[in-house]
Amino acid sequence: MGRYIVKRVGQGLVTMWLVTLAVFGLLRLTGDPLSFLLPPDATKEDREHMIAAYGLNKPLWQQYVVFNKNILAGRFGESLRWNSRDALDVFLSRLPATLQLTCTAMVFSLIVGVVLGAVSATHPDTLFDRIGKALAILGQSMPVFWVGILLILLFTVYLGWLPSAGGIDRLGLKGLILPAVTLGWLFVAAHMRIVRSSMLDALDADYIKMVQAKGMPRRIVIWKHALKNASIPIFTLFAVNFAQLISGAVVTETVFAWPGVGRLLVDSIFVRDYTVVQAVVFFSAAFIVAINILVDVAYAWLDPRIRVAG
Amino acid sequence: MARSGPDLTTLVLQQPAGVGEMSLLWRVRSVLRGVPLFSLAFLTVAIAGAVFAPRIAPYDPIQNNPVATLAPPSFQYLMGTDHLGRDILSRVIYGARISLTVGFLAVFVSGAAGTLIAVVSAVVKGWVDTVLMRITDAFLSLPYLMVAVTVVSLLGPSLVNVILVIGLLRWMTYARTIRGEALRLMEMDFVRLAHVAGSSRLRLIRRHILPNIVNTLLVLSTLDVALAVITEASLSFLGLGVPRPLPSWGTMLSESQTYVFAAWWMPVFPGVAITLLVMSINLTGDWLRDRLDPTRRQL
Repeated sequence: MGRYIVKRVGQGLVTMWLVTLAVFGLLRLTGDPLSFLLPPDATKEDREHMIAAYGLNKPLWQQYVVFNKNILAGRFGESLRWNSRDALDVFLSRLPATLQLTCTAMVFSLIVGVVLGAVSATHPDTLFDRIGKALAILGQSMPVFWVGILLILLFTVYLGWLPSAGGIDRLGLKGLILPAVTLGWLFVAAHMRIVRSSMLDALDADYIKMVQAKGMPRRIVIWKHALKNASIPIFTLFAVNFAQLISGAVVTETVFAWPGVGRLLVDSIFVRDYTVVQAVVFFSAAFIVAINILVDVAYAWLDPRIRVAG
Repeated sequence: MARSGPDLTTLVLQQPAGVGEMSLLWRVRSVLRGVPLFSLAFLTVAIAGAVFAPRIAPYDPIQNNPVATLAPPSFQYLMGTDHLGRDILSRVIYGARISLTVGFLAVFVSGAAGTLIAVVSAVVKGWVDTVLMRITDAFLSLPYLMVAVTVVSLLGPSLVNVILVIGLLRWMTYARTIRGEALRLMEMDFVRLAHVAGSSRLRLIRRHILPNIVNTLLVLSTLDVALAVITEASLSFLGLGVPRPLPSWGTMLSESQTYVFAAWWMPVFPGVAITLLVMSINLTGDWLRDRLDPTRRQL
């Protein structure tokens, strides 16, 4: 087990190294990294200061060493836009809003997806099941931002029930509903499909027939015994979906003016604040890598076959 | 599956006297069983619309018309007009061009890159395989849209850059799946015998591996077109995709946000177009998978 964890973390580090290499390479490939790292009205002194800080007058390999040293020390550079605040600092200040949004969306999609999937599986080929299937197909075909705009159209414009833009600090929990549903909707379909199919398998298994034969009420058979075993694939799906969740957050935060990391990224790109962009991309990648490692390790712990094979 | 007709026994029992007619009908039905007619029809319409856009579109999709801004749907403007007075129907028709061009070309890029990496990985094996698969893993854990947005902004938004970026960030599925398939083929007797008989690696790849992965490739790439269409729309929605005034559906939705209180038709119609296109591609892909690749039916 220990060896497996070490190996997996090693792979994660290699991944992160490739990410930094890509960031480093891309900024230099565009020709003049200074034009991306400095505001257009930078003075000559600013330029020289920057050249010294990043070692831009040195050969490429030395620049790369400086770049890696800075990253290892957590120095991503100063943000151009936020009064020269540290880029890492700016990123961290936006993180809570994104966590609120993504966690709520995930909880929403899990509850709705699992319940719909389980009911579909216990009533196969009924009207409910068919509607569920159609919803799943529709859910996977609608772009996140369109779902968001439609929800705004319905609940803000026509019904006037919920606010459409802001963030939790300004609007309270009420402002969280539409963004979370928008982002969660993306995964409702996925969760529903996987719960339905694994639930159908579970209901067919011998131990379920056994429990049923013992005279256990159907409600308990379904919601306790079958669902428990059918919910394992959801965790695999979670790891796969995590990168998609972050992409979805970028779009959702833009639609609802949600003050999170995704919106920070898009805003920073438009004002060419590339130090912040670097920090956001780097930490989002690190987050995905970390989640993947955690899920893999948890899996290996649950299923010894993976440890041996992997 | 989704479109299962009545089963054989009921059909036979219900057959009345005119057996000849019924059996013809039955034969047609059995051929069509499971074929996503609606999806194929919509795809045909979308492709035709994209190709013949200049002939079909009632108005110029880019020309402003200050007299008719934010006009609701009417017989004159079937889907209404936007804030600059441009006809939304015409823009939706021209938008199909961008979506389909980006969709197909991006998938061509990612399919070609992924297949190349997969085949090299599976045939050469050893450390080359290890390195290539590590790189594939690394790409898989990238925050995909974030990287796409950043790279497009660095390279400058243009149709070609959008295609390249979407294509080069999407090859991992192909690399993974096709490598597995190719490894399995390499172990099979006919490939081993060809190898023993003196076929070069290149010949093995060309004559034995590639023809046998075409089906998988076709299924994967069909489903991937849908993802590429959504990604293009997302990039354009964020303002970092196809540059204005080109009528991308994503750009149209982005512009509609400002007018959501005044003009419901601005967000609704382009969104319906994306959803129908993506749904048709997905359903066609599912159907192809069932037809071409029976072993993966439950995936």
